[in-house]
Amino acid sequence: MNRLIKFLLILTTLALALSACGQTTTQQQSAPTPQTVRETVTVRETVVVPAEKVTVRLSGWASSPAETALLESLLYKFSVENPDILVKYEPITGDYKQVLLTSIASGTEPDIFYVDIFWWLELAANDALLPLDDLMAASGVSRTEFIPSLIDAFTYEGKTYGIPKDFNTLGMFYNKALFDKAGLAYPTDDWTWDDLREAAAALTDLSDPNKPIYGFCTPPDPGRFPVFVFQNGGMVMNGDYTDVLLDSEAAVKAAEFYASFRAAQIGALPSDLGEGWQGTLFGKGQCAMVYEGGWLIPYLRDQFPNTQYGVVMPPAGPGGEGNLIFTVAWGISANTKNPEAAWKVVNFLTSEASQKTVLESGFALPSRQSLQNSDYLKNNPNSAAIFNGSFFGARPFFWGVVGSDVNDQMSKALERMFKENQPAPEAMKQAAESIRRALR
Amino acid sequence: MRTKSDRRKLFEALNGYLFISPWLIIFIIFSLISLGYAVYLSFTEYNLLRPPRWWGLEGYQRVLEDELFLAKALPNTFKYVLIVVPIQTFLSLVLAFAMDQNLRFQRFFRTIFYLPSVTSSVVISLIFIWIFAPQGIFNQITGLTVNWLDDPRTAFYVIMGMNIFTTSGTLMLIFLAGLQDIPLAVYEAAEIDGANGLQKFFYITVPMLRPVIFFVVTVGVIGCFQVFDQIYVMTAGGPLDSTTTITYLIYKWAFRDTRIQMGQASALAVILTLIILMVTLLQRRVIEGSGSGAER
Repeated sequence: MNRLIKFLLILTTLALALSACGQTTTQQQSAPTPQTVRETVTVRETVVVPAEKVTVRLSGWASSPAETALLESLLYKFSVENPDILVKYEPITGDYKQVLLTSIASGTEPDIFYVDIFWWLELAANDALLPLDDLMAASGVSRTEFIPSLIDAFTYEGKTYGIPKDFNTLGMFYNKALFDKAGLAYPTDDWTWDDLREAAAALTDLSDPNKPIYGFCTPPDPGRFPVFVFQNGGMVMNGDYTDVLLDSEAAVKAAEFYASFRAAQIGALPSDLGEGWQGTLFGKGQCAMVYEGGWLIPYLRDQFPNTQYGVVMPPAGPGGEGNLIFTVAWGISANTKNPEAAWKVVNFLTSEASQKTVLESGFALPSRQSLQNSDYLKNNPNSAAIFNGSFFGARPFFWGVVGSDVNDQMSKALERMFKENQPAPEAMKQAAESIRRALR
Repeated sequence: MRTKSDRRKLFEALNGYLFISPWLIIFIIFSLISLGYAVYLSFTEYNLLRPPRWWGLEGYQRVLEDELFLAKALPNTFKYVLIVVPIQTFLSLVLAFAMDQNLRFQRFFRTIFYLPSVTSSVVISLIFIWIFAPQGIFNQITGLTVNWLDDPRTAFYVIMGMNIFTTSGTLMLIFLAGLQDIPLAVYEAAEIDGANGLQKFFYITVPMLRPVIFFVVTVGVIGCFQVFDQIYVMTAGGPLDSTTTITYLIYKWAFRDTRIQMGQASALAVILTLIILMVTLLQRRVIEGSGSGAER
């Protein structure tokens, strides 16, 4: 019992002493109170700064690992220069447009994303894209800094909805070995339709049935044929995309010329030779001349390093020069919470320094006029031919809201001409009527 | 006592639902709700970018006036069903009958025939693209120069042939299971009565298999009406729309076109469902009605 009492006593005294100590410490601290408060406030202020860091999400399709790496390196450079903005790169694999549209429908789209020339208007007309003019003006960026045909392509009702990030036109690729074999001089930028036809006839060599060589490939491709319509002074659609002009005299004559190569057995469709793409046939030396974009250059470098070739602008037709522009722009979502930060990223990615990096990597052509005289283009005449194509009668690969119908009908009309021998006037009329029904 | 058994029943029911809940929840979220939403969308104009706008029957009217639907997708789909279903049913029945005999290497052949069914349809499609390429194996063996998948006269038949090739294996297995259920005594009795092999097949096997045949034909018809992935991979509806079917048209309107027409696509999906429903009911009448109530 005694022991227990003693223990309890010690315990209580200890407790008292401890509480006394506690009291004294609080009393001692109560004197410099204002100072401590001031200190905590300063600490809070330093915490506030990283909380202001804004996050913007950025998406595009990933066409090749090297191209993705290039974009990532540019974004890294951006993050060093702008520590207050965190850019999250979320590439979309698979069907890009499908993924993007469904993410817009569910309100989860990225702040910045690729918009393709072929379908961007559908987004702009439905208020899914942010007009960029005010942001451009605020940071002193002028529309005139970009190649006019590119920036105009992303303009709707006087507003700019996308900054072109790069582009391609079509160039005429020619196989040097086959030209040498036929004893022909290499083509120049001054060639015309007649030169093209004569060369195609001279280059065709069907003596080996297992490896026939055709002078010119004419795929029933809506991304190639319109060049001939433009070169013949025609148009695919009228100015405001409310009517189709494929059944006009100029377009019909262009179709007749396009089909005449295969009819005379000096041209072929890629499918005639069992390929889906004429680029492969060009590499194999079975098509001596093809109209393709700059994307063929890295493909040939990787797959057919021994094929010697050159690139010139497509030969002019009776109506002059004509070309197609394929381009992709950076667009900003109309629902973004950080338009300024998103614009900063877009502005950085399309700045002259970034565009120069892209150009020198050889993946794409820059959209800025100032780079026309760059050393890279001087030293790479093949890329220069495709870059300069944008200044000679080039029109964007864009046919308005019924774009996919126009493309479908154009390729079907060509297929009917090639495979069912339908006369060109009839084929083009049928295509135009079908497109008009879709336009209603 | 009553309340106790009631409670037990309730408990059992709850238990049952608990066990099927993983499936049930997935079914409700991914099938029932999306199905209902698709029916709702079929009465709206919807381009994914703006909220759906009520449209009434306008979408249905547009489908029924659409040139591509009337001239290509609808006739193509029926043609596909009418050619593929009878051939694949007959072929798989014959294969199953052959497998039911005591042949040598029976297991080996059974595996071989079933192999295409377990392979991804995309992979099979790619293999067929190569086989039927202009310089492909088929042309090299036969000495023909047809560009099978690029010719509007032949492309659809290649796809049909491929589908028969891939589905016959599965259907054969179902028939095989049905064949094992036919009592041997019936065959023995027929033999005593002097029936030959062919007679046994047509007067015993086929009638006894009637419920299985109904199942196989129904599954086949539904599958054929919904053919999509092979067409998507092999021809994308071309050449010249010769392989455009209803499901491909739905996909084209909903996702591929520049102007997205989700409402119209949903209307066509509802129409396809109704077509399948009607055809299934009709064939049930035909197959079950023609027999003299043998199933009972």
